[in-house]
Amino acid sequence: MDSGQQGSNSSSDFVRKLYKMLETPSDESVVRWGNDGDSFVVLENEKFTKHILPKHFKHSNFASFVRQLNKYDFHKVRHNNEENGQSPYGPGAWEFKHPDFKMNNKDALDNIRRKAPAPRKTNTTAEEMIIPAQQMDMMSNQLVATQAQLHALESRYNELSIHHSMLLQEVIGLQKTVVNHEHVMQNVMTFLHNIDAQRRRDSRMGNPFSQNGVQAQNGAVEIQSQAQEDDIPASPLQHAAKLLSETNADVMLNPRNLEHMNEMSIRMNGTLTTPPPDFIRSARPASRGPPSAGSSVNSMRIGDLDNLVYPVGQTNGIDPTFSEHINNIPYSMPPKPAEPADTRFQEPRKKSAQVDPGWVRQPQILLVEDDPTCRRIGSKFLHAFHCTIDSALDGLEAVNRMQTGKKYDLILMDIIMPNLDGVSTTHLIRQFDSTPIIAMTSNIRSDDISMYFQHGMNDVLPKPFTKEGLLQMLEKHLAHLKKTSTHLQPDGLVAPQPLATARQILKEEDSPAKSPATTWGNSPNQITGVSPVANNVTDEYMHAVHANAANYAPPGQMPGNMYNASPQMAMQSAQARQHAGHRRQISDISGGDDMNNPAKRQQAMYGNGVMPPQPMNPMQRPR
Amino acid sequence: MARADDDKAAAPAAPATTTTTTTSASSATPATSEEGIMAIPGAKDTIDALTFEQILEMDDDEDERDFSKSIVYDFFSQADSTFGKMETSLESKDLKTLSELGHFLKGSSATLGLTKVKDSCEKIQHFGEKKDETGTRDITEEEGLEKLKTTIDQAKKEFEEVEKVLKKFYEGEGA
Repeated sequence: MDSGQQGSNSSSDFVRKLYKMLETPSDESVVRWGNDGDSFVVLENEKFTKHILPKHFKHSNFASFVRQLNKYDFHKVRHNNEENGQSPYGPGAWEFKHPDFKMNNKDALDNIRRKAPAPRKTNTTAEEMIIPAQQMDMMSNQLVATQAQLHALESRYNELSIHHSMLLQEVIGLQKTVVNHEHVMQNVMTFLHNIDAQRRRDSRMGNPFSQNGVQAQNGAVEIQSQAQEDDIPASPLQHAAKLLSETNADVMLNPRNLEHMNEMSIRMNGTLTTPPPDFIRSARPASRGPPSAGSSVNSMRIGDLDNLVYPVGQTNGIDPTFSEHINNIPYSMPPKPAEPADTRFQEPRKKSAQVDPGWVRQPQILLVEDDPTCRRIGSKFLHAFHCTIDSALDGLEAVNRMQTGKKYDLILMDIIMPNLDGVSTTHLIRQFDSTPIIAMTSNIRSDDISMYFQHGMNDVLPKPFTKEGLLQMLEKHLAHLKKTSTHLQPDGLVAPQPLATARQILKEEDSPAKSPATTWGNSPNQITGVSPVANNVTDEYMHAVHANAANYAPPGQMPGNMYNASPQMAMQSAQARQHAGHRRQISDISGGDDMNNPAKRQQAMYGNGVMPPQPMNPMQRPR
Repeated sequence: MARADDDKAAAPAAPATTTTTTTSASSATPATSEEGIMAIPGAKDTIDALTFEQILEMDDDEDERDFSKSIVYDFFSQADSTFGKMETSLESKDLKTLSELGHFLKGSSATLGLTKVKDSCEKIQHFGEKKDETGTRDITEEEGLEKLKTTIDQAKKEFEEVEKVLKKFYEGEGA
């Protein structure tokens, strides 16, 4: 009301109005000069507020009036220290005093000014109010801009990650095709080998074998030389086989790489923690590529964010003072946009990495088990450990599933199953895949177990399994999927050379009669101690082999028998042994010198583990 | 026997005071096992508490027990049909199939912790292989068939026994 006149040199309106008010004699009963003329007294508060204030000050608020007086440094006169403590003007009277506000002294009114600090105070507060408001506006503008940026980024990122996953899928699909071709080729090769072997065998029958029969002890040597002879006609085949096994190795490399890339991106999306420890793991012989692949993905993404966010922020006029904030936003935000991208990325794998064992993503487990009870309980446990489970009812189904190219992090494999047992299944899978396979069985005698390992299994989980046992297996073999990577390297220990094993397995089918000495020492058709089919005449055996080769794996029989049908193959395996010499070497060497021991042991495995009901050839019976 | 079991079940889960079979169970499993299925007469000898308990743990609802109940009841029908097949194989003297059937039922009964049934199934498996009951010594086919007959009967009896216990557990508790 009076704020306009505050600074004037002449007396303020308020003071003049106040003086004027006191000059109205008709109002003396309500407000008048004090007895000494140096103060004024409001005698009747109510009447003053209601009638006089509106007349002079256009309002009827006594409190405002008092506040105003205070601003002009009027003071209420207190009477406490007087004798009776009572105001001489009555108990309800208000007396105000200012040194320059005196009756009959109008000139002194000019000295009455608004108190200095008060106006200044109001000024500054006003400024303070104004500036933050501007800042707030700016801030909120910035926020909106940043949000818009983030949205743009987010959609861009999603788009990119969808593209990325699409590409990945495409490449994986291509790889599957290649793998399938590979298998076709291998089948063809096997078939050719068999034909070739048969042809040569037919032409040669009787001669080397009878020789061997006499000189069983030197069997290994015989085979070598014999194989060399045989090698000549079949050298194109041999060559092809070698080529094939080499390309096969390549194929095995690639899906691993991709898988790692997949895992990398998932990891990057899910948790923005850089996972260097897992790179180390990926530096297994099977996959030298992934670290670079993974890190390139990684750095690219960060680069993107940098480039995008920063400039946009500046063009939006963001105060450099706040650039720190702005800088920080995009980096703390990505987990949000990453999540939707993540789910799109791997539809079946719902991202629940935070849960129980702390997976980076849900491990994909293939449970191969014919018994419904075990299968359901196993699945339930695995589910409790936040794994995604597929189950196959027998080995055949498992192999088929693997051949479709579906990738798993771990396979749990029952051993004794209809159609195709677990060992044979592993064996077949190992020819094109190196996923860790764990035997789930109650047959856990040491010879059983060593057979499992020999056929490419990575571990044994004794049945009936416990929850803890199962979890331990998962943690051991899926350490690379754990968030806080406890650095185990199970594969390195169990299957040191996936490639070598795979290649070697191709030749190891003859394993029951591991050492060539025994094989050839007995008679040509007893190559396999396992299958009764082998106890027939050579020709029949070969027929069986052909049949087997066609359908990959005969039920209830070691599928591998087919492979070592020819001495040439024996030669090959000898070579393979030199390449990837481990484990086998021992049995080979000792097989040459002392055929009884290792041969017996290995045959015992088969007698117990795989083909329990088969009556055994006495030669191969350990007990 | 039932008497003795009740006494054991009533005893607190102090490992030291119980017999060997119960120590392993009671020391590792919560006291509920003592009040739950293991309190039912006959459960002690036929069911391995530890194994069965971990399946019960998987039940989402402790009153309904949908999961374990369906597993157990599926096992009942699985066992019934397996015993039926054993009967036919026994008539046709198909030892190989008998051994496989024995193995099959061994797996599921072991997983459920039905120890007695499991042990008998293991014997069936061995006899089918024409081995003695530990699977080490050879026996003749006649011997095997003879032993198979009695062992299958025994397994059936044991199965029925544990079936009763389990049904009591599920129907008594669920209803």
